[in-house]
Amino acid sequence: MHFNDITIKSFHDSLKNGEFKAFEVVRELFDKIKKEDVKIHSFLTLLEEEAVEQAERVDLDLASGKDISILSGVPLAIKDNMLIEGSRATAGSRILENYVSSYDATVVGKLKKEGAIFLGKTNMDEFAMGSSTENSAFGVTRNPYDPERVPGGSSGGSAAAIAANFALGAFGSDTGGSIREPAAFCGVVGFKPTYGSVSRFGLIAMASSLDQIGPFAKTVEDAEILFDAIRGVDPFDATSVKKDFFPENDLKKIKELRIGLPKEYFIDGLSADVKNGVEEAIAKLKTLGFKFKEISLPHTKYALSVYYIIMPAEVSANLARFDGIRYDRIKDISKSKNGRSMLQEIYFKNRGERFGAEVRRRILLGAFVLSAGYYDAYYAKAQKVRRLVRNDFDEAFKKVDVILTPVTATSAFKIGEKADDPLAMYLSDIFTIPVNLAGLPGISIPVKKYEIGGKELPVGFQLIGKHFREADIFGIGKQYEKI
Amino acid sequence: MLKKKDLEKLAELARMDLDGKGEEKLLKDLDKILDYFGELKEANTEGIVPMAGGTASENIFREDSADLNVDKNKAIEAFPENSGGYLKVPPVF
Repeated sequence: MHFNDITIKSFHDSLKNGEFKAFEVVRELFDKIKKEDVKIHSFLTLLEEEAVEQAERVDLDLASGKDISILSGVPLAIKDNMLIEGSRATAGSRILENYVSSYDATVVGKLKKEGAIFLGKTNMDEFAMGSSTENSAFGVTRNPYDPERVPGGSSGGSAAAIAANFALGAFGSDTGGSIREPAAFCGVVGFKPTYGSVSRFGLIAMASSLDQIGPFAKTVEDAEILFDAIRGVDPFDATSVKKDFFPENDLKKIKELRIGLPKEYFIDGLSADVKNGVEEAIAKLKTLGFKFKEISLPHTKYALSVYYIIMPAEVSANLARFDGIRYDRIKDISKSKNGRSMLQEIYFKNRGERFGAEVRRRILLGAFVLSAGYYDAYYAKAQKVRRLVRNDFDEAFKKVDVILTPVTATSAFKIGEKADDPLAMYLSDIFTIPVNLAGLPGISIPVKKYEIGGKELPVGFQLIGKHFREADIFGIGKQYEKI
Repeated sequence: MLKKKDLEKLAELARMDLDGKGEEKLLKDLDKILDYFGELKEANTEGIVPMAGGTASENIFREDSADLNVDKNKAIEAFPENSGGYLKVPPVF
């Protein structure tokens, strides 16, 4: 079996035709992961027993002639900030090192109903804070294309697992680019849905007005299949919307979609490989007959500042729940010396010792921008400029249907290269952040098929759609990958 | 410019010990980041309604019923310390 060439679609057909059994695939994948993931470190926890059991159930269903769903028996990897009942969920943090979830995230429940198989939980920047997966408390993940380089982040483990052919699909969360940037660095497809498309219930929250769960896959078609399985309204997430909210698209209409190129995204700072890659993608789309138009998103330059005010503010509130009592604790904290109560001592010690440097930095930054005397200048101002960023997109979408941009300014950078300079790390996400601020759907698609061990590092391009028009960007993406 | 005193106050508000040795770098990093935010001053936001969240949905209600299917015992088991079906917490006073 050549797992490298298999997609979800072809896997489903082969499984139904009896070319292999789900059990065999799962066994083979765990052998491969145990052998090869030592150097990549995409997984934090393997769920071998549960995976084998589920594979056997699928094989039994098939043997008894039952019709199986497209995701039945499909091996998936799940970012470690999403809950699977009875499994560890660390969010890449020491403060959750021994936490075992007692229920399923809504997306996990939906995937279980489809008969999907969870191979394990993937590595990530602590609480999804980072662009390189170097911030994990459990060690870095390496890029399968070059082990000296980062896989991107924060969903670096999920992206690397697909690139290394450990799984057919994976899930991540995207707050400022955490699906699309690692997808670009690892040469896979990564999709961030419209805010409200997918329930966030059971996702360990980072910044609630920006977080959204989405899939990684080898192809756009597979990403769409995975998205279809998880989208829809959930009473446990008041921001989620009904499935019938999404308009469909037919091929004829897709060919007529107008694509905008925002001049603010094609800057001098683009590296040569990214510039050439994105130009190649545009040229290919032109040969398919797509029409392009230059547009302007004038407030783009403020997006990074807006994001790094709003996100930490929400982080400082969301992470207040880690009190050192509920999820995991440091044993034997002694009575304080400095006049603090025992309760305060538990708080200060647990949070001080078990949050990593980046998490602490963002909590402090959030506390600062929300504090009296600074609130108006920072938080309130950022909320207004966020509106301007969104208005830019609304205006642009009167002239075009879809927007094409680079995903990142460079291809995967070296491990350690930006680790000591938070601002340089933050700048890795300048092309993905505005999409989250505006709540739009965005997809990162590899410019071409890259070979592991080849000379080139993967480069991706981003398609941004109108709210709930995921069908437009999937439609163009599927046309693109047929070339 | 943030001062060491400000940083200590923020850490107090965030209920988080600072480890001492990293403070200087932390101050420098935060200053650099706050300095970067300065560019927002030039953005004209007169009459702009703040965007307070990610959704335009309003007043989403559901029935006030306990319909989350969590096994009570599993929830208790997930707690770091428990005994006889009760959650155990350290003395806090």
